[in-house]
Amino acid sequence: MACGCEVRIAGLDEASAFRLAQQAIEEVRRIENKYSRYRADSIVGRINAAAGDAPVQCDGETVSLMDYADALHASSDGLFDITSGVLRRAWDFRRARLPSVADVDAARALVGWQHVERDGRHVRLSRAGMEIDFGGFGKEYAADRAATLLIDAGCRHGFVNLGGDLRAFGPQPDGSAWRFGIQHPRQADATVASLDVVHGGLATSGDYERYFELDGVRYCHILDPRTGWPVRYWQSITVLAPLAIAAGSLSTIAMLKQAAAGDFLARSGAAWLAVGPRGEVVSSDGVGDDPAAGTVE
Amino acid sequence: MRATILVALVLASSACSFIEPVSPWQKGNLARPEMTFEGDALEGKFLEHIYQSKENASGGLGVGGGGCGCN
Amino acid sequence: MLKNPSTGAAVLVAALALPGVVPAARAEAAPDSAQIGFKYLNYRDSQPGLKRVSVDAPSVSWLLPVAGSWSLAGSYTLDSVSGASPRWHSSISSASRMSDFRRAADLRVTKYLARSTFSFGTAYSTEHDYRSNSYSLQATFSSDDNNTTWAVGFGRALDRIDPVNGIVADEQKRTTDFMLGVTQVLTPNDIVQANLTVARGRGYYSDPYKQVDQRPRERNQSALMLRWNHHFDGLGASLRTSYRYYDDSFDVQAHTTSAEWVQPLPRGWTIAPSIRYHTQSAARFYYDPVYDPLLGEPFPPGYLANPAGFYSADHRLSAFGALTLGIKVSKAIDKNWNADLRYEIYEQRGSWRIGGTGSPGLAPFRARFMQVGVTHKF
Repeated sequence: MACGCEVRIAGLDEASAFRLAQQAIEEVRRIENKYSRYRADSIVGRINAAAGDAPVQCDGETVSLMDYADALHASSDGLFDITSGVLRRAWDFRRARLPSVADVDAARALVGWQHVERDGRHVRLSRAGMEIDFGGFGKEYAADRAATLLIDAGCRHGFVNLGGDLRAFGPQPDGSAWRFGIQHPRQADATVASLDVVHGGLATSGDYERYFELDGVRYCHILDPRTGWPVRYWQSITVLAPLAIAAGSLSTIAMLKQAAAGDFLARSGAAWLAVGPRGEVVSSDGVGDDPAAGTVE
Repeated sequence: MRATILVALVLASSACSFIEPVSPWQKGNLARPEMTFEGDALEGKFLEHIYQSKENASGGLGVGGGGCGCN
Repeated sequence: MLKNPSTGAAVLVAALALPGVVPAARAEAAPDSAQIGFKYLNYRDSQPGLKRVSVDAPSVSWLLPVAGSWSLAGSYTLDSVSGASPRWHSSISSASRMSDFRRAADLRVTKYLARSTFSFGTAYSTEHDYRSNSYSLQATFSSDDNNTTWAVGFGRALDRIDPVNGIVADEQKRTTDFMLGVTQVLTPNDIVQANLTVARGRGYYSDPYKQVDQRPRERNQSALMLRWNHHFDGLGASLRTSYRYYDDSFDVQAHTTSAEWVQPLPRGWTIAPSIRYHTQSAARFYYDPVYDPLLGEPFPPGYLANPAGFYSADHRLSAFGALTLGIKVSKAIDKNWNADLRYEIYEQRGSWRIGGTGSPGLAPFRARFMQVGVTHKF
């Protein structure tokens, strides 16, 4: 979760706003540390270290997140799978090289939510070398937790923005919405649209965060767990939903569904804006009425 | 009579545990002003005052408020 | 519960089950914007052949959020009342003209906590011969899921009367009242409320301007009010209904029921027709317009045998039924301004009583009232 963290609180005196922002940031850090896969002592580190070995007991919050991962796996027909992180062993995005079939197959053998054994509070990864990782929704979960902490403390204006995945909890003090620019998927210093948010979550998934291009084909970091290969349809998908974690999960699942995402998003009830393979911008009704939207070069 | 009403109220509210609780995200319609019991403050005061001065029944809504010498 | 939710909706439902991602249900939150309202009431009542009382009452109300978890609310009304008020029963020939100003003001301060609210209010009202001062304390308590709210209240009032005709001087009436209520959310489209109020009053209840009017020096009242609001998703409309049962130690029993249909229309307009029916029995000391054969009007039969008894010819204490038909139209001018107009016609007749015979010999009483108002949020 090494990215910008912005907590904006309006409508309060400076001392209270500062104090509450500190608490919100501490909550983000708490979640970052607890679910970091880089720390051997985090719950995720311990579960991964015990793969193929004994079950690990989890606390209530972790069990809830595992339940959520299970719901996402079911809702996405198996596309969203928190055990798919091991595929990153086959794909090295720093060196623009395609993996061998053997590397991909070896990694795929360790992917599969169905191989995660859960019994009440106990979790066991049934094969040595398996890994789970909450990176797919950890940041959005932290944004929701931090924002809820601020709402419960009485904040009525502001947002928590963790590198583009954000949760807003009230308009600007004059009643107008916060306006967020959506990163252009092909031009680092441009936006493709601006969205107004007052309450709720906004999250974007795209093929531009970690990728390499080879012979005119882009290979991005969003990997289909069934094939072990990157998805290749949408340039980016942005979703607005009541919760940041729901927005983030919906945008990631939509990227994974590739061409079938339109139907999935239409039935989700969420508002969305997407940039298609040829740069065309499509959106649900009333989203991103920004004159700059159109075809993205 | 009043004791009976009080007992009925208590029983009625505890019987509500058999109703499926409504979650916060389902309360959109209940937040509409016409679905609350507050109503327009001045309108309520006017009407209560009119009916209290033309009829002999009052109460059921609040406490305090005093009277007037309305004829 | 969702039946066959789309998978997208399933994601949202699963997300809502996570801990700490939605705020704890707030019981009642302090208002986040201040509000001011102006309203003008015009009231006219009449009996066949004579216009009686007319009232013009401009008033102002305000609501201010204070320091995050407090609010201050109040109103001020100036009534100017004029017209003919009957000396006894509803006899027209001896009506006397009167004209009066009434000023009334109230103030309420409320503290909002996570699951409860506490408020203290005070009110006063003055006319040239009548003053009323009161205070009240109220508290509400909500369940964790905010679906059940209990309310409890206590109030005291002191009324002082010093009539111009000198019949009595410096009389007063003290009242204490209690309220216990519960509001319950039943479904996403239904909310109900039950309130019980009980009042005890001691002091002067008679009407000094009526020739033969001697009422008991105490009155105990109780009322049970039931209300139900139902929302119709298809029409976007809401039906507000209520029923109140009332009884008191004057032996008046009353039933009042009302219904209002609130129908939103395009472009911020709302229309709300309403109907109200009220029926009451007569007070035990109310006497019909049948007078003592010896003494004549306005003395009731048997007055000489018991001159210190309780008697009243006030038509408000008679047995009757009354019907109100009303219509309210309002318009949301923009997100901060709202205007409304309400018009009602009211008629009271002995023959309209349900549950017994109405008091005979009284002319039908009619009234019409209209309210025009505007509110502003800032």
